[in-house]
Amino acid sequence: MKPGLAFIASLALALMASTAIAQTKETLTIDLPNDVATLDPHLQWNTDSYTVYRNIFDNLLTRDSGGKIVPQIATEWTYENDTTITFKIRADVTFQDGSKLTAEDVAFSINRIIDPALKSPQLSQFDQIATAEVVDPTTVKVTTKSPYPALLAQLVKLSIVPKAYVEKVGDQDFNLHPVGSGPYKMADWKKGIQTELEAYDNYWRGEPPFEKVVFRAVPDVSTRIADLKTGKADLIRDVPPDQASTIESDSTKLLTGETERVGYLYLNAEAGPTKDVRVRQAIAYAIDKQGLVDALLEGYGKPINVVGAEPIFGYTEAVEGYPYDPQKAAELVKAAGAEGATVEFLTSPSYPRALVEAIQQMVNEVGLNVTISSSDQATFLKRRQGDAENAGGMAFGAWSCACQDADGIIFPLFRSGSIWAKYKNEKYDALVDQARAILDEGKRKELYTQAYEVLREDVPGLGLYQVYALYGAAKNLQWTPSANEAMFVMDMSWQH
Amino acid sequence: MLNYTVQRLIQALVAIFGVLTIVFVIMHLSGDPTLLLVPQDASAEMIAELRHQLGFDRPIWVQYIDYLHGLTQLDFGMSVVQRVPALDIVASRLPYTIQLAAGALMVAIGIGIPSGIIMATMRGSAIERILAAIVVTGQSVPTFLSAILLIFIFGVTLRWLPTSGASELRAMIMPSIALGALSMSTFARMSRIAIIDELGKDYVRAGLARGLSLGQTVFRHVLRNASIPVITIAALEIGNLLAGAVIIETVFAWPGIGQLAIQSIQSRDFLVVQVIVLLISFVYVLTSVLADLVYVVVDPRIRLVR
Repeated sequence: MKPGLAFIASLALALMASTAIAQTKETLTIDLPNDVATLDPHLQWNTDSYTVYRNIFDNLLTRDSGGKIVPQIATEWTYENDTTITFKIRADVTFQDGSKLTAEDVAFSINRIIDPALKSPQLSQFDQIATAEVVDPTTVKVTTKSPYPALLAQLVKLSIVPKAYVEKVGDQDFNLHPVGSGPYKMADWKKGIQTELEAYDNYWRGEPPFEKVVFRAVPDVSTRIADLKTGKADLIRDVPPDQASTIESDSTKLLTGETERVGYLYLNAEAGPTKDVRVRQAIAYAIDKQGLVDALLEGYGKPINVVGAEPIFGYTEAVEGYPYDPQKAAELVKAAGAEGATVEFLTSPSYPRALVEAIQQMVNEVGLNVTISSSDQATFLKRRQGDAENAGGMAFGAWSCACQDADGIIFPLFRSGSIWAKYKNEKYDALVDQARAILDEGKRKELYTQAYEVLREDVPGLGLYQVYALYGAAKNLQWTPSANEAMFVMDMSWQH
Repeated sequence: MLNYTVQRLIQALVAIFGVLTIVFVIMHLSGDPTLLLVPQDASAEMIAELRHQLGFDRPIWVQYIDYLHGLTQLDFGMSVVQRVPALDIVASRLPYTIQLAAGALMVAIGIGIPSGIIMATMRGSAIERILAAIVVTGQSVPTFLSAILLIFIFGVTLRWLPTSGASELRAMIMPSIALGALSMSTFARMSRIAIIDELGKDYVRAGLARGLSLGQTVFRHVLRNASIPVITIAALEIGNLLAGAVIIETVFAWPGIGQLAIQSIQSRDFLVVQVIVLLISFVYVLTSVLADLVYVVVDPRIRLVR
């Protein structure tokens, strides 16, 4: 009898202990589709790498929850003239190796990423910067090649690395053993498997919310969901809309972020049947955006009138979108003499097949003949970005520049000469060029409204919907997803 | 036998070289990684610039010679995506693949061969029919389905086993079963057929006539003779298990080279793909040479001749 009681008592104790651990769980586990490619923040910037290393490093500037650009490492900034801007740097920031962060490190970080020798794929985001110079230990002067209003939005993405450490260990070792000034330092990187971060206790913004953070690589979405449900993961990314309803349970919840990302349709204005503007307009009238959102996204999206969503600078409601009007579409197809004309719809497995087929169906119904050509992503990009003649008639895409500025969307997509543009309109080019080269916000906004007006007439592309990012989370995890899809662990916490 | 081995190894080298060349050409013809690396707002000049820095703008034969030149010095090149030596990346993943293949082979042989023996010796019984049903199931359920079913039943519903990862030994159970199921069926069918074939031979009847039981006859004489086709299958299956775990590794987030292969092909990380191809073709060739050598040991009637 006695040993039995003792056994039960110890079992009860063990159970209590395990629930106690669960309540004060110090490790946050996040399932991502892939592991980090590089931890050097100046190299790869695919979503998974970006998600992890931004927790190790600080940025010069950041965005608040409302999307406004606010100070981070820089406390204030002033334009000396249209191409020169000086940043004041915080004096109380230390790197995880104990050294102090100074203007030297900021200037080094900027000059490092624009140095062609680093072969950084991110160079194109910073190539408007001519140079960065140290004025004094807390002041940096950045010069751009021409007036460049998107500079601040781009600098939100620039991680500050420690000059002395990088120079000491070299680029290769820095990638494997990164040191930053962010809330978390790298503890253990099992390449291809998981990345473990550890709280940096002297972080200048206060104590990080979790002792440890583990980012696991789990490629299959069903497995990520299984991990969440069994408590193996506390947060998972990329929940497909059709699985969203399975996420809500006693221990898990669905988090939704209204992002700056837009689902859009590209239409080839330089070759094939879509060269005729009436055909492009017909396609615009043929698509039931609300229907797509309701049926395929389970309502997790919002129809849009332009190629851009509310969180971006330059978004406008003044430009009217195309209503769903299949009859008008059929008339336009007839008027263009394009009945039965074959339009090639390029796609790859990276894009939702059901959506592509639904659009095909809608466009076929107004008298065109859409054929889907699916290839792998590299081949898709090669065709989509190549010659207009070979770039298909249409393609679906989901665009975000993570800069919340129209310049990052409609400039690369439609400005003639850009790899994505299969469209040329001098008036449009002049508008977006001008908007890129002035700093006056009111004037810029007006230019983008005009540019969107031109795009509405010419339809080289069609905005379909604003993408909602879906995350699955443990019930007691508190976090509000942001418009730029960043995952800052510093903004998360356990609910008490 | 030495002659034979040397000859086989030379043939193998030629085969591996051929595979490497074909993969190199196909990968390079279908685009380069530059487009996948750059941010989407990159200009054509930026892309050209990065392509030049990475060396992908050179004619394919120059890149090929460059690659071969590296190989002769055992330099397998750098991953353009991860910026670390391609060989290191593959080497770090290999133990996981070997571990999983071993687990799957244990499932395949441990269940497959006894099932084959039982099915051959107890023909017409209820147990044979049950085993036959299991074998057919193992063979016909696609791995992506069985893997997700296993996760749903034993991971999410019963909570007996971890749903993903490779951090603990228990995590190996489900992927091993899912991966080993197909091989298990192959082993069961092959050993069943081989044993039935042997059972009709004179030496079995002689043994039975001498008063040996069926069990004694099978274990002392039949199995050894029936093992030749099973060894052939085993050699092929080991290759398959090492190379064919792509889906299983993806579903279970098992960090082996199958998963790595898919990711590297998708991101056009050429040199990592090349190392994997090299490794897999090497394993295939090696296991088939080994199988040939094992034949001689098992069955002295077989002689390897030039």
